[in-house]
Amino acid sequence: MVSTLARPADAKTAGGGNARTPVPAAPAANIELTGVTKRFVSPTGSLLTAIRDVDLHIEPGQFCAIVGPTGCGKSTTLSLVSGLARPSAGSVRVGGQEVHGIATGMGFMFQADALLPWKTVLGNVAMGPRFQGVSKKEAQREVREWLRRVGLSGFEDHHPHQLSGGMRKRTSLAAALINKPSILLMDEPFGALDVQTKAIMSNELLGLWEETRPSVIFITHDLEEAVALADKVVVMTVGPGTVKGVFDIDLPRPRGAVQEIRFDPRFLELHHQIWDLLREEVQRAYERTATAPNNDGGSR
Amino acid sequence: MSALSINPELSSVSASDEATIAARARKRARQRKLAIWGARVFLAVLIVGGWQLLTDAKVVDKFFWGQPSGIVTQLRDWINHGTQYGSIWLQIWVTMKEALLGFVVGVAAGVVVGVALGQNRFLADVLQPYIKVLNAIPRIVLGALFTVALGLGTSSKALLAAVLVFFVVFFNAYQGVREVDQNLINNARVLGASRMQVTRNVVMPSALTWIIASLHVAFGFAIIGAIVGEFLGSQKGLGLVIATSQNNFNPNGVFAAMLIIAVVALTAEGIIGWLERRLLSWRPPSTIEAGAI
Repeated sequence: MVSTLARPADAKTAGGGNARTPVPAAPAANIELTGVTKRFVSPTGSLLTAIRDVDLHIEPGQFCAIVGPTGCGKSTTLSLVSGLARPSAGSVRVGGQEVHGIATGMGFMFQADALLPWKTVLGNVAMGPRFQGVSKKEAQREVREWLRRVGLSGFEDHHPHQLSGGMRKRTSLAAALINKPSILLMDEPFGALDVQTKAIMSNELLGLWEETRPSVIFITHDLEEAVALADKVVVMTVGPGTVKGVFDIDLPRPRGAVQEIRFDPRFLELHHQIWDLLREEVQRAYERTATAPNNDGGSR
Repeated sequence: MSALSINPELSSVSASDEATIAARARKRARQRKLAIWGARVFLAVLIVGGWQLLTDAKVVDKFFWGQPSGIVTQLRDWINHGTQYGSIWLQIWVTMKEALLGFVVGVAAGVVVGVALGQNRFLADVLQPYIKVLNAIPRIVLGALFTVALGLGTSSKALLAAVLVFFVVFFNAYQGVREVDQNLINNARVLGASRMQVTRNVVMPSALTWIIASLHVAFGFAIIGAIVGEFLGSQKGLGLVIATSQNNFNPNGVFAAMLIIAVVALTAEGIIGWLERRLLSWRPPSTIEAGAI
């Protein structure tokens, strides 16, 4: 995992600004993938194509959800945008610039909690600014402000294992947003949460996103979640993944409670349309696993 | 299950029930602890007393196997009159100095090399066969080499102890670095951490659990290194005291020195355990308790 850490000179200013309640919105960047293919070579030499010829364009400040069956290369797409991995072919551009290594101004939320278990909530959220060279005192001030915003005031000195799943997600969210990213990448961030907590977290995410408006790529396998949150839903095919369809979600913003928008007739219509496309892929992905060597799913 | 409204009488009964159940559980826990300690003392009395009785009754020959009362006499003699190489405290200090020096050097080298190789796969693959060869050598034999090369002083023993400690710590540090959650590293990198910052903030603390676990074993090895080194050639130290006792057909002397080493090692073990609890205080309590067993 050796890569050049591209750090433009203006990186320092990203974390240094004073965080008043209305966050000075970082200029959101557009994300452009053209003809992107990513192959993996296993140690034994066999080749696996994770995604093939993916074309994707996300406007600045747009909230884009990617849905698709398991193993369609959704996470691979994210790692390419983040610069954690490089495409085998094609180009990935963020803010008009080719992605080389890990760029600054990015927030990433992983499916598993990427919190350091030995650091307190305060220490975990402070990592972003501290890595950018912000002084400890200033970083802590920013952290307290963000913890207040995600409703975690009073939990500064708790360790992650002392928090509930939802609280850990809030911590991750604060940690991802504190550097005021111009793009926010989320890899099934709420996948492991129970339904109620997931709804609450979705609402909070929308609230915070509407304050700062970074461009978002949100990966999920939950179509309802995708339609409820996003401006644009991208359906990917079963692997090697490629873009099967793109839907603009014209539900008005602010969306309000995620639980209630599900009963909106327009929501149901869109959901229905997208599901028609997605169903085929899910079916194919399922058949693939069902015909796998130890064939125990075929009878069901 | 069928009653939807809770009978107030019933709930008050169950509340007092719960209090007695809790009290009973506490009492049972106390009794269990008492029983364990009782059994421990009994076991010690059985072994030491049996040893004493069997040697007194000449079932076991005390000329070869020593005798608890003889060991106590020997210890008293050493404390009051010293050994033939000076006071017993001096011998303990010399051995401890060698063991500690070797321990510190071995741990430092093990951590540095382990972390470096753990993060550099190419280097690790290149060096892997050599490390396996080195690890396969009975390293005690190196002691003979060190005594010849470095003389009878502290350095040859400390070096032997360091070599023994190094491999234990190295393998743990290496494995610990390899086991670091890739998610955590990626997250730190996305947040803008440099390579050094990732090592300092993510890799090292994560590997610390493994490294500290190895220290328990490593200190035992450090003492072994020092004692064996003294066996092979020295002018002072507990190893020399043991060797002399052996040559004089004095098993009580061997056992007495063993007892001293055991006390020293247990003390060190206690200090390492304390350090572990301090450094890893972030862990959920259950793991710490399990680690203490």
